[in-house]
Amino acid sequence: MADNVRFTLNDCPVEIAGVSPMTTLLDWLRDHRGLRGTKEGCAEGDCGACTVVLEREGRRDAVNACIALLGQLDGQSVRTVEGLRGPGGGPHPVQVAMAEADATQCGFCTPGFVMSALAHASNGGTADPDAIHEALAGNLCRCTGYRPIVEAMTRIAGLAVEPPSAPLLSPRTTSAAFDGAFFAPRSLDELLALRAAHPEALLLAGGTDLGLLASRERKPPKAVIHLLYVPELAVISASADQITIGAAATYEAAAPTLIEAFPALRAYLSRLGSRQIRNMGTIGGNIGTASPIGDMPPVLLALEASLTLVSPRGTREIPLDDFFLDYRKTELAPDEIIQSLSMPRLWEGETFHCDKVSKRRDQDISTVAGAYRVRIRNGRIEDARLAFGGMAATSRRARATEAALLKDGFAAAIAAVESDFKPLDDWRGSAAYRRQVAANLLRRLELRLAEPGRALEVEAL
Amino acid sequence: MKFDTPATTNPIDQLKVVGQPVDRIDGRFKTTGTAPYAYERHDAAPDAAYGHVLGAAIAKGRIQSMDLAAAKAAPGVLAIVTAENAGKLGKGEYNTARLLGGPEIQHYHQAIALVVAETFEQARHAAGLIKVEYAPAKGAYDLAASRDKAKPAGTDDEPADSSVGDFDGAFGAAPVKLDATYTTPDQAHAMMEPHASTAAWNGDKLSLWTSNQMIAWSVGDMAKTLGIAKDRIHLMSPYVGGGFGGKLWVRADALLAALGARAARRPVKVALQRPLMFNNTTHRPATIQRLRIGATRDGTITAIGHDSWSGDLPDGKPETAVLQTRLLYAGANRLTRLRLSELDLPEGNSMRAPGEAPGMMALEIAMDEMAEKLGLDPVEFRIRNDTQVDPESPKRKFSQRQLTECLRTGAEKFGWAARRKPMQARDGRWLVGLGMAAAYRGAPVMKSAARVRLDARGIVTVETDMTDIGTGSYTIIAQTAAEMMGLPLQKVVVRLGDSTFPVSAGSGGQFGANSSTAGVYAACVKLREAVVKKLGLNAADAQFVDGEVRSGSRAIALGDAAKGGELVVEDAIEFGDLAKKYQQSTFGAHFVEVGVDAATAEVRLRRMLVVCAAGRILNPKSARSQVIGSMTMGAGAALMEELAIDARHGFFVNHDLAHYEVPVHADIPHQEVIFLDETDPMSSPMKAKGVGELGICGVAAAIANAIHNATGIRVRDYPITLDKLLKDMPLPA
Ligand SMILES: Cc1cc2nc3c(=O)[nH]c(=O)nc-3n(C[C@H](O)[C@H](O)[C@H](O)COP(=O)(O)OP(=O)(O)OC[C@H]3O[C@@H](n4cnc5c(N)ncnc54)[C@H](O)[C@@H]3O)c2cc1C
Ligand code: FES
Ligand code: FES
Repeated sequence: MADNVRFTLNDCPVEIAGVSPMTTLLDWLRDHRGLRGTKEGCAEGDCGACTVVLEREGRRDAVNACIALLGQLDGQSVRTVEGLRGPGGGPHPVQVAMAEADATQCGFCTPGFVMSALAHASNGGTADPDAIHEALAGNLCRCTGYRPIVEAMTRIAGLAVEPPSAPLLSPRTTSAAFDGAFFAPRSLDELLALRAAHPEALLLAGGTDLGLLASRERKPPKAVIHLLYVPELAVISASADQITIGAAATYEAAAPTLIEAFPALRAYLSRLGSRQIRNMGTIGGNIGTASPIGDMPPVLLALEASLTLVSPRGTREIPLDDFFLDYRKTELAPDEIIQSLSMPRLWEGETFHCDKVSKRRDQDISTVAGAYRVRIRNGRIEDARLAFGGMAATSRRARATEAALLKDGFAAAIAAVESDFKPLDDWRGSAAYRRQVAANLLRRLELRLAEPGRALEVEAL
Repeated sequence: MKFDTPATTNPIDQLKVVGQPVDRIDGRFKTTGTAPYAYERHDAAPDAAYGHVLGAAIAKGRIQSMDLAAAKAAPGVLAIVTAENAGKLGKGEYNTARLLGGPEIQHYHQAIALVVAETFEQARHAAGLIKVEYAPAKGAYDLAASRDKAKPAGTDDEPADSSVGDFDGAFGAAPVKLDATYTTPDQAHAMMEPHASTAAWNGDKLSLWTSNQMIAWSVGDMAKTLGIAKDRIHLMSPYVGGGFGGKLWVRADALLAALGARAARRPVKVALQRPLMFNNTTHRPATIQRLRIGATRDGTITAIGHDSWSGDLPDGKPETAVLQTRLLYAGANRLTRLRLSELDLPEGNSMRAPGEAPGMMALEIAMDEMAEKLGLDPVEFRIRNDTQVDPESPKRKFSQRQLTECLRTGAEKFGWAARRKPMQARDGRWLVGLGMAAAYRGAPVMKSAARVRLDARGIVTVETDMTDIGTGSYTIIAQTAAEMMGLPLQKVVVRLGDSTFPVSAGSGGQFGANSSTAGVYAACVKLREAVVKKLGLNAADAQFVDGEVRSGSRAIALGDAAKGGELVVEDAIEFGDLAKKYQQSTFGAHFVEVGVDAATAEVRLRRMLVVCAAGRILNPKSARSQVIGSMTMGAGAALMEELAIDARHGFFVNHDLAHYEVPVHADIPHQEVIFLDETDPMSSPMKAKGVGELGICGVAAAIANAIHNATGIRVRDYPITLDKLLKDMPLPA
């Protein structure tokens, strides 16, 4: 089968032949296509200099070109800084605003900022400072100190920018195989067939972890099966008592449903990666990666999530509690795929809170993450699920702490943290530090439960 | 033009263009992605091959063997450069370690090979096939552990030791005293554009497009390293994606691109991959600083002493962290000492405001501690010890010194009077604190030349090898020429960063803006003379206004002077001894409000203000951005930036942007910059100084002091991360 990757680039259809689908979009743009407005600052998703925009369903979503693989773009519509024009063919109003506000100094970060700003304005982003910070969290600038950029963004937020163009290519309806190594199924059945036929292929969702192999490690995987366009894996549903999120739903797609059910996730998700990462990254990928400092596992453990795993052999459901075995080891069999995860809604009397503690406010990996679901009836704690990341080789529930909390209250629970965890000791935080933070987070939880009206959240600043 | 008497009234004082907040003239290219950086010169070198750098995997020792066979046989490979096959190489004057290592290895990730191939992927792949056997040697990587072995060490400009009066006696006798030690970590420039170069040979002539701040230095060092004459090298650096001192010199990318292009007989481009940069290039070295301050009970400093220890590779230089302590505050008895240990970490060198940036991080906490001991307001304590003369030689005055005005203005605008005693202000879960610090940075000057051309259309073109590293050089140089020649900005073209242009001051040490515009001023004075002569006008009353030259009743279009052919003149500004007679410095005052989370000790900046007195501000818009940018870098230094050392293997562990954290948007709150009115006739005909580095000096200490005010905790070990606070935090109530 000789399928070629096809996508729309700045309103022109392109078809890619003779270039590996494992090539990053950034390398292709700069080295093969000669479009060098998009910059490379880090090649690992950290700096945003490579930000481009995907135009999909009336939206513009900023993504990092340095970790997006060509194969992932099949059927998409990509816009780069070269694809911006203002009325009359001059610079685009976003570019004018950036220049006038002195939001560019050395200029190396600027095309990336321009694209993030365009996405923000296109999607109705406001001039509210928090909204601006969130839109730009994935873009680093070492020169301007950000204020002039925020000033430009304030003007840009009010601009009426032209809507994204309609797609030029109709989506594929059946699976494609690019270069005999990049498999892009379009249904669960095709996915399972491919999984059976290519046991060595890695599963690729948003690629915000795996893309680093191609980009930073410069060791692109030999073969991948791409999950993002399998509709059965992208389902998001909410019933009266349960939330289900497809494993290949991106953070941005899943966020509204999750936040509606668990409002504490609003602030938490805004600090997971950056807008660019959340536009590509998936929750399934976060679980699949099984990092001890991944942000979703503690949340999902506290929320009593279960996973639906599919394989050519059939389907099974397991509680997330039983999924993480050891450092980056999971219950997932080699031929299995996470299809979705489900969690019950909060019952009466239940509250849910979560915290991310990191060195930097945004775009940083957690040092410690904590999530807590607590049921209180008649002033008594009846049930508690407390889970932490960054405290052990996997995200884990704090079982002794939970037991102490139910039996003897918060003081006892705080004392019990010690017995639950032997945290990692690395330069992000010493073991003693992590333990103390976890204990203090429980103290904060106590305050939250005692005085729910009190301003305790990050946004209070 | 010689500048050796104070500036009098000159055309710049009209301030029609200079001093106006005009938009950056390069902004349009940068926002549209059309400004070409060094790695993107496909127009000039269309068939460039790709080079991939291999870094040493040990910090010290020797390469025992290097097996290139598999790499050479890999698809697409055109050449492999190693120290063994590169021929005899010299070492640049500004480089401490060699740019191409082997067989001896001087630091981790020192470049040991360049693989050149048709495509980037092929070069990268083949680099992975090189097999290297090392014989590692034991190295020294821990500054604290080697402190006892440190030796006195100065620099060209700074002696190892300075002393006035009897420091020991006065400190011993002082009724109130502080003796405290502070540490600052190794820090990375982390500019957004990685070091990158494209090189092409034409016979024995090298064209080198590289991302570089100092064209003439780098031509000299390239020539020395390659062993060829300087006039064989054409170096171009018109756009630089940030430097901060990291690109003051040629680095491995430039040398290896040149060697690779020679070996492959093709143009070659090389960009350092981000994870290589932190250990391959230079960094700001860590310091240990001991401050001793003695004062009378009313807060008059009688003794001030500052010792600083830093480390560098053999033959390296110390971080001159005591600079400001010699000049900032009065005090009859003084002592400063610089000590240097040999360390085998990557090369330490200049980063934005070398000396003062880490020095002020320590001194300005010490001043806060001292004020606390004295029961004095820290603003008041500083004002009480202000001086208008060089405290080491009182006959030497400061050319301008408005420190007190900065402090008073800042205190008033910031609402400093509302500051409470430590741990007394609370806002929800946040403990709130206010802190301040002085800002100080020298304002050196350097000879700087420029060429100006006038054509028949009345367009003036400025050519100088000055660089614009985001600082706004294009714009302020255009403003200077426009002002001098009576033109609107659109009639001025500025061409920078090319070694065929006259040698400028370059971008570094806060000397660039003042010196390079003064050089353009000098060239324009000469052009005015040439125009007047050409047009046969009277020099005494000739005026350059609105594109015309007016004299008596005549008004002639400027371009007419070039009707018979372009007028081209060149001149340089050369500074006499005014800078010796008068101490020239920039001053400021930082004010900061922080919130510290009562439960987790997370620190959030809430408000920042700096008041600057830095001579004439040539463009308030770009100057403000420079100051805000440097405050942000200072905030990073206060709260997060630190190269973590693996003391067993001798390298920086957090060598990418995921782990070397620099501030992001949400870390930086409301920031305000106020420039005091100032013109300094001693500094240059522009009456300006620099501002690009002033903003970073002191800000970290202001943050540390605000954290102390919020929590009562004094952290003397930067960065002030949560773990250093948490253990002493007041229990959340
Ligand atoms: C700059 C940057 C910032 C980041 N910040 C954060 C952060 O703040 N918090 C955080 O938790 N993470 C962060 N990450 C990590 C990453 O974004 C997340 O882990 C993300 O959820 C991964 O999802 P993905 O879809 O991109 O996964 P991919 O990279 O596509 O895959 C990750 C792994 O999961 C496996 N996998 C994917 N889908 C499935 C499936 N359905 N079934 C079985 N296995 C599967 C893959 O095979 C692979 O091993 C960051 C990454 C970057 C580059
Ligand atoms: S290059 Fe830095 S995020 Fe892509
Ligand atoms: S302008 Fe230089 S990094 Fe943003």
